[in-house]
Amino acid sequence: MSLLELDGVHAYYGDSHILEGVDLSVEAGEVVALVGRNGVGKTTTLRSILQLTPPRAGEVRFREESLVGLETHEVAQRGVGWIPEDRRIFSQLTVEENLRAAIPDADGVSSGLSLAFDAFPILEERRGQDAGTLSGGQQQMLAIARGLVGENDLLLVDEPSEGLAPQIVADVAEALSAASEDATMLLVEQNLPLALDLADRFYIVDNGRVVDDGDADAVSADDERFRRYLSA
Amino acid sequence: MIVEALADFLTLSELGRVVVQGLAKSALYVMIASGLTLIFGLMGVLNFAHGSLTMVGAYLGGLVMVLTVSQSTGVVGRLGLFFVAIVVVFGALTILGGAIETTVIRPLYDRPPIYQILLTFGLTLVVDEIVRIVLGLYGMQPLSDWQAALATKPQLLREPAALGPVEVRWLSVFEILLGVLTVAAIWAFLTRTRYGLYIRAGSEDSEMASALGIDVRQVFTVVFALGIGLAGAAGTLLMWDVAWGASVPLAAETLLPAFIVVIVGGLGTFRGTVVASLVVGMTDSTMTWWFQNYIRFTGLPELTLFLVLVVTLVVRPQGLFGVEEVGGH
Repeated sequence: MSLLELDGVHAYYGDSHILEGVDLSVEAGEVVALVGRNGVGKTTTLRSILQLTPPRAGEVRFREESLVGLETHEVAQRGVGWIPEDRRIFSQLTVEENLRAAIPDADGVSSGLSLAFDAFPILEERRGQDAGTLSGGQQQMLAIARGLVGENDLLLVDEPSEGLAPQIVADVAEALSAASEDATMLLVEQNLPLALDLADRFYIVDNGRVVDDGDADAVSADDERFRRYLSA
Repeated sequence: MIVEALADFLTLSELGRVVVQGLAKSALYVMIASGLTLIFGLMGVLNFAHGSLTMVGAYLGGLVMVLTVSQSTGVVGRLGLFFVAIVVVFGALTILGGAIETTVIRPLYDRPPIYQILLTFGLTLVVDEIVRIVLGLYGMQPLSDWQAALATKPQLLREPAALGPVEVRWLSVFEILLGVLTVAAIWAFLTRTRYGLYIRAGSEDSEMASALGIDVRQVFTVVFALGIGLAGAAGTLLMWDVAWGASVPLAAETLLPAFIVVIVGGLGTFRGTVVASLVVGMTDSTMTWWFQNYIRFTGLPELTLFLVLVVTLVVRPQGLFGVEEVGGH
């Protein structure tokens, strides 16, 4: 049985029909990339899993339990973490406070902070600094670290390389790669080579549906299937 | 004339008195406004009922004091009972605040802000009317200060205190101490406790906080309840100050400066509220001195509060420590 299963998920923003029956699954231990053009429903898929944009039809199951109808914090408490596309760090909290807010158990603060600082040593240097004063790359590291310390069984990672300099993208990719050894990830990423490099499998999303899928190792970024659905 | 007035103002005794009175006003403002700013910062709810609940706190605190203080109760006894009254009022108003949030505020979170404004304004009318009815049942005047509650103030707090060449009221010193205590307690709660961390995270981005597993709705309830508890505690202190006193008009008298302080500080930031309380309190005290001693027109000093508000909105619309967008859910 899959760790995560989406079955015919329909989601809306107001009257706009964004997801028109998304089906996908993620097995424990794998990294699955969700690729597609802007605005086809990738981020909405992640939001539907978290119940931030609750599905109006269809089913979302995590460890065989339905998440539909739960509050977002209840989904998170079941072990689903989120690294959002625009980082959404708490800019007026310090780096350490951002991490503490993500650690569910007060007893786990020490080990959680160690985990984050081992992955991103620069965050330890800046632990007392307001997160809003970090550079874009450091903020992305903090967003990822916040996802890592949450004792999550599944990480929903949304556009981790967006807006970052190439060197920072390499650092972020390395951190995600290291994290993927212990975590299961559903990754939304516009940078196709990076997505395929990190992922075990991929789904192509177009117009609110999954239109194709396959093994990441068996394709390259210039594959005809990607050209068909990802080119502008 | 101006030089002479300035020289008079800058003497140690006058300047010291203005500063102490300004700090006392700042302490009252920060106590009144803290609950309002915490509620708005986290929940995006502008609670127009805040002043009315401060007024309820003044009457409830007064009731505790009137029932427990006798002629023979000394200074220490009265001060001790006052702190008991603060705890009782804080507890009672916190429970009331929790009940209000869960029953009438919570269903409106997904509606436009105008619904919350109308609801809390309606609450003000209801609370004020209930208090009038209860006072009427006991033959008490709703418009004038409750003298029996004022009479429970210990003699010491009615007397002037000499701090070197500066003569001030002991009550001002007492108000400053309570204000400092309140700020320190809230600051410690927000920065030293796990729940305070959740409140600050939720104030900045409640959706992200939910996605980290924080039950933001529960945090909303706790913050609203504590905010109302703080309003009640502030009301208990105001009950002893002849400039305020326990009366129904206290609701409007406290709501206005509370809003000014919260807006000047930057909607929803506690640090801003503390600094704005100092700015508004000191401005109020300074202008009061000038209007009373040289301009000799006692109605105008209150206008200076609005002047501070207008200048802030023109120069820095988001307030001293405000961010472009706060609250929301």
